[in-house]
Amino acid sequence: MKQIALVTILAAAAIALPLIIGENPYMTGILISVLMMAALSSAWNILGGYAGQYSFGHAAYFGAGAYTTLILLTNYSTLNPLICMAAGIIVASLIALITGTIVFRLRGHYFGLASIAVAEIVRLSVLNFEFTGGAQGILLSDISLWGLDLNSKNPFYYGMLLVLAVTLGITAYLRTSKTGYYLMAIREDQDAASSLGINLSFYKNKSLVISAALTSVLGSLYGLYIRFIDTSAVLDLRLSIEIILTAIIGGVGTLWGPVVGALLLVPLAEMLRSNLLGDALVKAGLVSDTSAFGIFLKENLAHAHVLVYGIITVLCILYLPKGVLGLFRRTK
Amino acid sequence: MIKDLLRVSHASKHFGGNVAVHDVSFAVDEKEIVGLIGPNGAGKTTLFNCMTGFFPVTLGEVIFDTKKINDLRPDEVCRLGMARTWQRVKPLGSLSVLENVMVGAFSVTNKPRQAEVIAMEELTKVGLTDYASKSAGSLPIGLKKKLELARVLATHPKLLLLDEICGGLNHTETDTILDIIRTIRQRGATIVFIEHDMKAVTSICDRIVVLNSGEKLAEGTPEEITNNPDVIAAYLGGGHHA
Ligand SMILES: Nc1ncnc2c1ncn2[C@@H]1O[C@H](COP(=O)(O)OP(=O)(O)OP(=O)(O)O)[C@@H](O)[C@H]1O
Ligand SMILES: [Mg+2]
Repeated sequence: MKQIALVTILAAAAIALPLIIGENPYMTGILISVLMMAALSSAWNILGGYAGQYSFGHAAYFGAGAYTTLILLTNYSTLNPLICMAAGIIVASLIALITGTIVFRLRGHYFGLASIAVAEIVRLSVLNFEFTGGAQGILLSDISLWGLDLNSKNPFYYGMLLVLAVTLGITAYLRTSKTGYYLMAIREDQDAASSLGINLSFYKNKSLVISAALTSVLGSLYGLYIRFIDTSAVLDLRLSIEIILTAIIGGVGTLWGPVVGALLLVPLAEMLRSNLLGDALVKAGLVSDTSAFGIFLKENLAHAHVLVYGIITVLCILYLPKGVLGLFRRTK
Repeated sequence: MIKDLLRVSHASKHFGGNVAVHDVSFAVDEKEIVGLIGPNGAGKTTLFNCMTGFFPVTLGEVIFDTKKINDLRPDEVCRLGMARTWQRVKPLGSLSVLENVMVGAFSVTNKPRQAEVIAMEELTKVGLTDYASKSAGSLPIGLKKKLELARVLATHPKLLLLDEICGGLNHTETDTILDIIRTIRQRGATIVFIEHDMKAVTSICDRIVVLNSGEKLAEGTPEEITNNPDVIAAYLGGGHHA
């Protein structure tokens, strides 16, 4: 009961937020990033957190969604964006199924390695094909959907919120269903799981496809939102890593961990990127503006957010192995 | 009574040049309890692994319920009705005791509610209801063995393979497990029972198969086996935990 009340309040707050902050593209942009990373990390969590299969290449599915949608729309401008999104789901699911069918037969950590390889293959292919725009990327001039003002960021805020809600809903449902129990059993002990009647590769594939499909929807939405994509924006290894780190820092294998991770990390990354942190250190008198270290910070902190994520992750693994959420959870 | 619920014929398992099981044949009738004994390294666990699809036999055949199952996966074997426990227990550590058993129950139902009901029944059988919400990883070894048993019972197997389910337990714990096995046998279970404790084996088994260095050394009733000179020489007299 308390849970339901809490979720209702959270949802209401999330829905009201754009109305409260008003027409503030900068703030809305950050909020969209938070929602998107929370949803991406939640989608990854279904596979990585529940089934215990760490994918280091989720950018491939994000990119599949973004590229499929934008390629279709630049060629057939009258297509409904939702249909393009569905096409993206199909492409991402196919990549997932091919990867899973080959790799999940093998025992051990092959999936982690293969996921990186597949993501690199997708990235290099996109970079070298003509119809994908190659290194130039793809620019989308104009889109329309149900007469919404798509130059405003609010529709995308609500779009991301909706996908996040759906992802969390699927996760919550899975946790109490046969599939969810099977995924957790696979994570805990594969021999025990298969001796109890669990078809390992079927359930791993199932969670991979669910995860990839949700990730591709987010890619499509992002493509429509940003309207310019290239491989470094949607297919980069860095994105895959950020997705994992967000989950680890928030709490892998928990419903809300990825959301907590995104709430902490995305604003932190933004502060680093806009050099707020460097400026703050200078203002606080901790570092001098003109010292070599101050200049070094100014020049490099903006690019360092993945490094900072990495350091936080190491600290998390050492001191908070169950993520930030683990702090609030008493062990049985 | 069905003859030959399980039939293993001329089964061999090679690991490279190491022959772990060599030309072993035996059968299990419905409602029988068959003991599988032999010194350490005799190939008992390997035989279970071959029967349950964890690795295929190199030569020979495994027939369960009139079906040849040589090439089936472990999960398929389980769903056909042959399920095993692990000598080295394999609890799903971060799940609760109840959830562990529910995972087993999901092979007979898709509904979580139903799985929970079945799981509670099995926990009652082994006397673990008080621990239902504890995390499985935190249990002491004696209770982990009981959890193994409850979890495999929840799959409602026609044939139960127990790999040293009393291994590492003290006398009282062993007796509790044996009592549980007697209860489930009264309900018509068929069991293959790997065990080193001869008193446990002879008190509970209808028939005993003896393995030694991967080969079948003898087969017979408990009296026949305890009086068999070969067995006494190879196994009972060998200074092993008897
Ligand atoms: N996966 C494996 N790879 C290689 N050799 C193996 C493997 N599993 C078992 N063996 C070998 O097969 C032989 C039989 O081992 P097994 O575990 O079946 O014996 P056991 O009768 O169960 O003994 P114990 O009473 O100690 O449990 C041993 O020599 C062992 O080293
Ligand atoms: Mg053994």
